[in-house]
Amino acid sequence: MKDELRERLARIDPMHSGVPTEPTTSESSQELLEKIMRTPLEEKEEQASAPRRTWTIAVAAVAALVLAVAGGMALTGGDEAPVATGPPLELTAGGEDIMASCIAFTPEALDDVAELAFAGTVTAVDGDTVTLTVDEWYRGGDAAEVALIAPQGMEALIGGIPFAVSDTYLISAQGGNVNYCGFSGATTPELQAGFDAAFANG
Amino acid sequence: MSSATDRRRRFEAVVDEVFEPLQRYIRRRIEPDYADDVLSDVLMTAWRRLDDAPPDRVLPWCYGIARRTLANARRGRRRHLKLVKRLEAEPQTGLEPDPADAGPDAELSEALDSLSVDDREVLNLWAWEQLEPREIATVLDISINAATLRLSRARSRLSERLTRQDDAASGHEAVEGTREQR
Repeated sequence: MKDELRERLARIDPMHSGVPTEPTTSESSQELLEKIMRTPLEEKEEQASAPRRTWTIAVAAVAALVLAVAGGMALTGGDEAPVATGPPLELTAGGEDIMASCIAFTPEALDDVAELAFAGTVTAVDGDTVTLTVDEWYRGGDAAEVALIAPQGMEALIGGIPFAVSDTYLISAQGGNVNYCGFSGATTPELQAGFDAAFANG
Repeated sequence: MSSATDRRRRFEAVVDEVFEPLQRYIRRRIEPDYADDVLSDVLMTAWRRLDDAPPDRVLPWCYGIARRTLANARRGRRRHLKLVKRLEAEPQTGLEPDPADAGPDAELSEALDSLSVDDREVLNLWAWEQLEPREIATVLDISINAATLRLSRARSRLSERLTRQDDAASGHEAVEGTREQR
């Protein structure tokens, strides 16, 4: 009886074993696998020599930091003043989404994709959690502290963005997702200028 | 260092094991247009987190990565990624649907559709990916007990829906007015 239901379900499997898949030996598969295996794992060293490039990969790894209470966060910081006095905010880091469909970074593009934006300093990196003290909210929040929690992807997260205690980061997010591909990251003069320009008018 | 070579070798072994089933997993759950991107992302994550791969459950582990990748994609790119919800309703390639199966399929699809997302997920993992509760637990990142319970409940609910459909069908044919309860 049990097996009957299972078999019946299996019969409506749209991808049953009769449907062909791409073999690992095909040219496109080989190309993909090679590309992946050439991806550097030592982000910190890479960052020094090729920050921009690394960032694309790095931030892609954090792709969807899910703001567990994003809605509340986005909506509670009604005024534009860059206050950071609210209760701690917890962000869940999905960490797996490296859907890197990137658009070129411009302040205007950042303005468009950022419902939330803040500058923060990492106070702790502990297991699954990176804690940041918010130095300034550029948009949409008031939490004094933000925790990035990545139950599954912290290794990728930490490996991707070299979060280090005392370092500062600029983070933007929308729809519960941290923006990547250059729209969030460790503070650099370039990124800072982009954030300043994007949020100059609140 | 030979550790790089070793890592490649380990990754290639993982790929050999998961490449095909992973493609099926993804294509069951997302439009073909996006499947390649998701596959690429999942493999990239697997490459980066290779040291976490449980040797005896590499495939469920990869399914778990795929599941989260898809979930994140869904959250983050809701407007861009149109998820296929009617997975079971439309075979994705030129399968010849057996006319004899058309009836039961429709009935089952309907019953499946009426279940919660969680129920469908666990049933699909069980019947399509052919996973056992222990492996389902890995994919869903829950305890084996919880996986067993979820599967059992989902199965009961599906059976119940199917029975209800049967009752309703025979009810129509027989006496009108014996409204089923429950």
